[in-house]
Amino acid sequence: MTTDATGVAAAQPQVRADAGAVLADIAGMLRELLEEYGLDEAEIGRETTFHDDLELESIDLVSLSGSLRERYGDRVNFAEFVADLELDEIIALTVGQLVDFVVESLRSTEAG
Amino acid sequence: MTRFLFVVPPLVGHTNPLLGVAAELARDGHRVAWAGYGDLIRRLAGEETETYETAMPDAGLRRPPKLIGPAAFRFLWEDFFAPLAGLMAPGVDAAIRAYEPDVVVADQHAVAGALVAERHGIPYVTSVTTSAELTDPLSSMPKVDAWLKGIFAGLREEFGDPARDDDPRFSPHGIIAFTGRALLGDGPLPWDGVRLVGPTIDRRPSPCDFPYDELDPGRRKVLVTLGTANAEAGERFLGEAVAALESMRESVQGIVVDPGGVLGAPGQPGRPGPAGGADTGERSALDGQLDRAARESGLLVRDYVPQLELLAHLDAVVCHGGHNTVCESLWHGVPLVLAPIRDDQPIVSGQVVEAGAGVRVRFNRVDAERLATAVRTVLDPAGGHRAAAEEIGRSLREAGGARAAAEELGRIAARQADYQAAG
Repeated sequence: MTTDATGVAAAQPQVRADAGAVLADIAGMLRELLEEYGLDEAEIGRETTFHDDLELESIDLVSLSGSLRERYGDRVNFAEFVADLELDEIIALTVGQLVDFVVESLRSTEAG
Repeated sequence: MTRFLFVVPPLVGHTNPLLGVAAELARDGHRVAWAGYGDLIRRLAGEETETYETAMPDAGLRRPPKLIGPAAFRFLWEDFFAPLAGLMAPGVDAAIRAYEPDVVVADQHAVAGALVAERHGIPYVTSVTTSAELTDPLSSMPKVDAWLKGIFAGLREEFGDPARDDDPRFSPHGIIAFTGRALLGDGPLPWDGVRLVGPTIDRRPSPCDFPYDELDPGRRKVLVTLGTANAEAGERFLGEAVAALESMRESVQGIVVDPGGVLGAPGQPGRPGPAGGADTGERSALDGQLDRAARESGLLVRDYVPQLELLAHLDAVVCHGGHNTVCESLWHGVPLVLAPIRDDQPIVSGQVVEAGAGVRVRFNRVDAERLATAVRTVLDPAGGHRAAAEEIGRSLREAGGARAAAEELGRIAARQADYQAAG
């Protein structure tokens, strides 16, 4: 291996398919997304809603989709997750729901 | 001579782009009448304008100012555009019977125009006043798309042609969109027959007086405006904007549009604008700090500004990402700081950022310091925002505007007349 292994390891901790680790991952992505707009101190938990609490817009979800792809590759299909939601579900969407979807996706692809 | 009926919702931003088109059609020897909220149409298009009155929602029907994102979208269709269509339909029907138009030009969000026209078998052309719908934002959310189609189907049963199932926001007879490729990008559009004409810039002199002699030639001029429909939501943001502008007073002169009077009266009260802003005589007590700032730094706080005329003097615009303000600014080569509130604004803002002509801040969270940083970023020539805005401005001017729209409508009308003659 010729790359800087420590650097790579620091940037990309191992993907773990448990709810706590995924919540930490996603909270990190959301903080990064919101940081440049001044929400550095946001508390992000399972009950945090994407719209009422974080005030994310559709274009933010596109960015989040990119972050998820970077982290999990093809194992998590965010587009599929969004496509399955009714409007009322999108309005009330929580971080916890996305965490559960990601955990489920990771577990179902673990064998492969 | 073709008889056109323009059907518009009671919204300034949806009416303004059509004013120049009506004038061009008249110049070509066609006749134009309008259906909608007569007072608003006549105020914008002129007292002598031929108007057919339709019922309108109570003034009490207001969207909660805090409603944003998908909740605002649900409200917009369920509680505003769909009931609006139901209210307008009888008036549009009466207008069609009395005026007997050859072609109906229906605003994309005044769905009654499209549906009543199709029931009468009259061709209709869609007027699109935002670039956001042309990106088909619901394509990634099939269940939301189905929900909206369900609303249309219900309205169609009442006053459209129930045999049809096409999208009344996009006419099969033709679509005129007052936007350009510079915002939409080069990808294919999700609908056929879209003619992109760019914004229609109305050159009529504004009745509003503006103290041009108070503009400081030695400093950059930055306008802050939240458009015609967001007065209530803007108090915190405008306060931060004033603080940001004051922090840059050495090099920047600020001009802030405050139609709701939320900042308190400045030293020089402006005049009530056509949006029917607050009566200046009833403004709250003077805000001492703002008043002093206005005297010392030349900050101009006005109820209303003649935006198009002012743009020639400006170096940057801070706005909510409304499509009209965005296009007018870019038309003049002025870069933008965008603080989208809701609806199409986040999408339009994203398009401007993507095109390199602006930066986005978060409307409900940005503070004076971050806003000042954003303004400095777009004012700095090294960032290329000004150059990108000028490039987009060129492309929007080349799109043809009202003249191109009128010619397209003339072509569509002639084609429809041919179809009908052929039987």
